[in-house]
Amino acid sequence: MLKIITATAKEFLLLLRDRTGLLVLFLMPAILVIVITLVQENVMELTGQKKTQVLFLDLDQGDLGRSLQTQLKTGNLELVVWDENRKDMAEIQKAVANGDYQVGIVIPKDATYRFKEAAARLFQPGKGTENPADSMTTPLHLFIDPGIMAGLRSGVTAQLQMALTVMSQEAKITMLSKTLQEAMAGLNVPPEAAPLDSNKLPALFSQPLLTLTENPSNTRATITSYNPVQQNVPAWALFGMFFTAIPIAGSILRERNSGIWVRLMALPVSPLVLFAGKAIAYMGICLCQFVLIALIGAFLFPLIGLPAFTVSMNLPAVLLTVLFSSLAACGYGIFLGLICNSYEQASTVGATSVVAAAAIGGVMVPVYAMPHMMQRLSIISPLNWGLTAFQDLLLRGYSLSAIVGDLGRLLLFFAVCAFFSWKLAGRQQ
Amino acid sequence: MDQTASINQGNPARPDSGSSGAIFASGLIKQYKNANSPALNDFSLDVQPGEFYGLLGPNGAGKTTAISILTGLFPPDSGTARIMGMVFRESENKIKQILGLVPQNIGLYDKLTARENLTFFGKICGIQGKKLAERIEQGLEFARLADHARQPVATFSTGMKRRLNLAVGLINDPQVLILDEPCVGIDAQSRNLIHEQLTAINQRGTTILYTTHYMEEAQELCSRIGIIDNGRLVEEGTPAALLQQSGRANLEELFLHLTGKELRDS
Repeated sequence: MLKIITATAKEFLLLLRDRTGLLVLFLMPAILVIVITLVQENVMELTGQKKTQVLFLDLDQGDLGRSLQTQLKTGNLELVVWDENRKDMAEIQKAVANGDYQVGIVIPKDATYRFKEAAARLFQPGKGTENPADSMTTPLHLFIDPGIMAGLRSGVTAQLQMALTVMSQEAKITMLSKTLQEAMAGLNVPPEAAPLDSNKLPALFSQPLLTLTENPSNTRATITSYNPVQQNVPAWALFGMFFTAIPIAGSILRERNSGIWVRLMALPVSPLVLFAGKAIAYMGICLCQFVLIALIGAFLFPLIGLPAFTVSMNLPAVLLTVLFSSLAACGYGIFLGLICNSYEQASTVGATSVVAAAAIGGVMVPVYAMPHMMQRLSIISPLNWGLTAFQDLLLRGYSLSAIVGDLGRLLLFFAVCAFFSWKLAGRQQ
Repeated sequence: MDQTASINQGNPARPDSGSSGAIFASGLIKQYKNANSPALNDFSLDVQPGEFYGLLGPNGAGKTTAISILTGLFPPDSGTARIMGMVFRESENKIKQILGLVPQNIGLYDKLTARENLTFFGKICGIQGKKLAERIEQGLEFARLADHARQPVATFSTGMKRRLNLAVGLINDPQVLILDEPCVGIDAQSRNLIHEQLTAINQRGTTILYTTHYMEEAQELCSRIGIIDNGRLVEEGTPAALLQQSGRANLEELFLHLTGKELRDS
């Protein structure tokens, strides 16, 4: 035990003396988590998961524009209303064409009048049923940037169509109610004898008969929508942890390529003790990495307009996941240090394998967004095991018992790496 | 030292299996993968307790392989190696407690200070407390690095590194010390200091196996010399006896006579 403590203390000293290397170990995942989260936040906007800004020019200044604004504000669109006295349709067209805004809507002059007139004509005998589509619709002008993603285009047009449908229905029902009232009055039917109260028609039509209620996907969790911070903070912390495999491999290769390893192997100490010293020291680094990235998520992200990262749920289980993930990363680093012959080799193999494992494991793109074959492949990535455990704890609200399988896989990965490293160390003596 | 002992020729050191040698090897064979010929081919050696034995040989003769087997870094394909009568397979930990190795490549952590290096290797040897503190001070004094104890090794000259490399090899006060070319690339002053210190250590009873390319160094230090070539010992004896028997003017001439003048680049 004393020898493990000695080996650990030595590794810590070496790490502290290599300030540049240490800085890279902390800066790299910190920069990545900030940049990627900001980028993903923008992607969410582009894919319609965030409010999209819509230019709105009302040349009519009537009820139709006001009603449409009210309808759209309840959706996922943020209206930027232009002054009709200073702007015209050509300017909206230009702003969208330039990519300054992705969507623009123009309400033409007299639109309210035409809209109301069309609704009234629907219920005038002999006028409303001939060819309503040609003569009675009121065209609103829509401009969409051709560069926007298909998902956002269909999302925006669906919201607009929904708003227009609701407004058309309301107008029709109002006119129907009025027409019925007039018809009843013409027939001298007292209001109490009428089969229905025409004044109540708008309320009756707006009463939904079917509702959609979202429920938590498990009994313990609350409903949360996708949040890039809760995904990215653990994901890039994991990436940083597994990237420590490269400096661990480097430290072993420095010992192997100098006289240190030969000297150590001639001393009364097992390679496993030396590996344990390295693993413990670098696990400390991994823990500090996670804490740093979590602090960035919790305190820096809100300052730059991102949601705050929270780990209030099940902190001990989160720390245990950090511990097991870093153990797996250290095991891989030690193994890498023994199969490679030079630092150049280890850094190339290490970087390639960690980036590949991160990509397969869902660090860069969520697993559900991958092709089916890649989704199946993701289960072989240790980063996927760690990430799944973090997501179970942080997004799905599960407890420790739910992540035991992933922790076991991480531990097994470490054990396999340590076993082969021990065998390789014996052979390389 | 007694340099008048006899000379042996043609695998001269094959001793009895019951030898009391401090460093003993008999019939060692080691064949590396993809190598055309064995690195060690029936190599035998018997260094008596308290002896200062020099192992000379050209590049690729098998010196480092022999040292690696004698320090337990890897086993031979066949043959026997013993340190103070013990074999590695049975008593690895006991042997490592009494064995000191000074590797050819400097085995020190560049970013640690001289004191931190001595402390680390001392603790790895299981030395603690007051005893460790004493050994560290002795090591710094031995290497004449007491004034540089808090400096990182990276700032040291080659001579300082070599002296510290040797001091670390002595941190466990070994009964048997194996040195693989400890004076490569250093100035005359550092070499002289190392020679003086090694002689003093040997006079205190430590058995030393020393490999070197410097013939005059071997002649000055060693009580007995063995010349290894193509994986086997081709000549062995005291420096005086070797020169007398061969009729050569110096060890270098004898060495070239025994091992040839062809370059050993591969």
